[in-house]
Amino acid sequence: MEILYLSIALFLLLTLVAGLWRVLQGPTSADRMLAAQLFGTTAVACVLLLAQAFEYPPLRDVALIFALLAAVAAVAFIRRAWAAEEQNDVSD
Amino acid sequence: MTLLQLMFDTLLGFSLLWLAWQALTSPDLFRAIVLFIAFGLLMALTWIRLDAPDVAMAEASIGAGLTGALLLSALARLGSKNGSRAILEKKHQAGSMTENTKNQLPFRLLLMVLLLAVAAGLVYVVLTLPENIPGLGILVEENLESSGVSNPVTAVLLNYRGYDTLLELSVLLLTLLGVWSLGDMTKQHESFPGPVLSTLSRLLVPLLIMAAGYLLWVGAHAPGGAFQAGSLLGAAGVLLLLAGWRPGTRLAGLPLRISLVLGVAAFVAAGMVFILLGRQFLEYPPSFAGVLILLIEAAATLSIGITLAALFLGGRPKFSQPKFSRPKLNQPKSSQPKFRRHK
Repeated sequence: MEILYLSIALFLLLTLVAGLWRVLQGPTSADRMLAAQLFGTTAVACVLLLAQAFEYPPLRDVALIFALLAAVAAVAFIRRAWAAEEQNDVSD
Repeated sequence: MTLLQLMFDTLLGFSLLWLAWQALTSPDLFRAIVLFIAFGLLMALTWIRLDAPDVAMAEASIGAGLTGALLLSALARLGSKNGSRAILEKKHQAGSMTENTKNQLPFRLLLMVLLLAVAAGLVYVVLTLPENIPGLGILVEENLESSGVSNPVTAVLLNYRGYDTLLELSVLLLTLLGVWSLGDMTKQHESFPGPVLSTLSRLLVPLLIMAAGYLLWVGAHAPGGAFQAGSLLGAAGVLLLLAGWRPGTRLAGLPLRISLVLGVAAFVAAGMVFILLGRQFLEYPPSFAGVLILLIEAAATLSIGITLAALFLGGRPKFSQPKFSRPKLNQPKSSQPKFRRHK
């Protein structure tokens, strides 16, 4: 089972690296932020798989922290960065 | 180590280096921030692979979560009218300085030589390290029973090396004092949070506080502890601030300041009490150590959380509630600058 879990974790890491393309390309900042949000979800799955693969339950707490905090950066983006951008667009 | 683990680690290592390079060289600041958030995520995964779940937790909460929100907020402030004008002026200055940079070539070469010397020194030190040194791990294991906790990391942080943690807490407090000395909180013209954000903050804040309590408790015998719990508490504060909540007149004064210094104060008090009983500073008697560590950590968690949230506020809080403005549809938005400088 360890091999299965580790290969899925490796695959998830590969998808994460592939997702970096979207961060680099954009084109809008929302695309970049959503890619980062997706990385958060991927990281949760990846950590949970590692916890199973190495049979080390405390790693699940790391996944818990990832899951809880993923929303904070997104909210900061919507409330601060995106709002400022929209306002600049309107005033230009 | 199996082949799969090797592949995982190699991919992780190379993407980390690549991300770090991209984040540093990106001309677009927003892209740099998103790359930094991704860097934090991968860094946490790396700490897990290095068998350091405690550090992974701190990195996950501070590196990927809180710093991202802080940087995005700072970028928004830069993007405001005052900020962008300042950047433009800087660019003008930079444009006229390109001729000067040519004269700086010898200086740059000297800098490169010095940096290479430092790098060579570091490589030399790493290569000449004796192999298979046991380190202090054995000593920690032997004395774990008298430390009051069964998680060796917490034992080192709160008992054997209490000084370090005390000074770390003081650094955090000093950072906040530095930010506060720069001026009052800038008045932000916030829009109404809206139903989704209100619901999210009502659901997530209690969960964050509960998880902080859990990490504080679990830190005695498993990965976790005051800094991790404190950063979750800080995230709860940041979420409340983003949803438009501001400390009221009653809270922003003395209660806020007391809770900020509570961690350091409790730590110092616990250290001093046993001097009176003929022990060293921060030397706890083994029978009380467990309870004392939990008490100190609880105070530290509260202080760390509130300090982080106060840092996000970006200035000394004023004694007033913000006035929400409902989104105005007819009025031109540009009439009101979004981020006004304090007077």
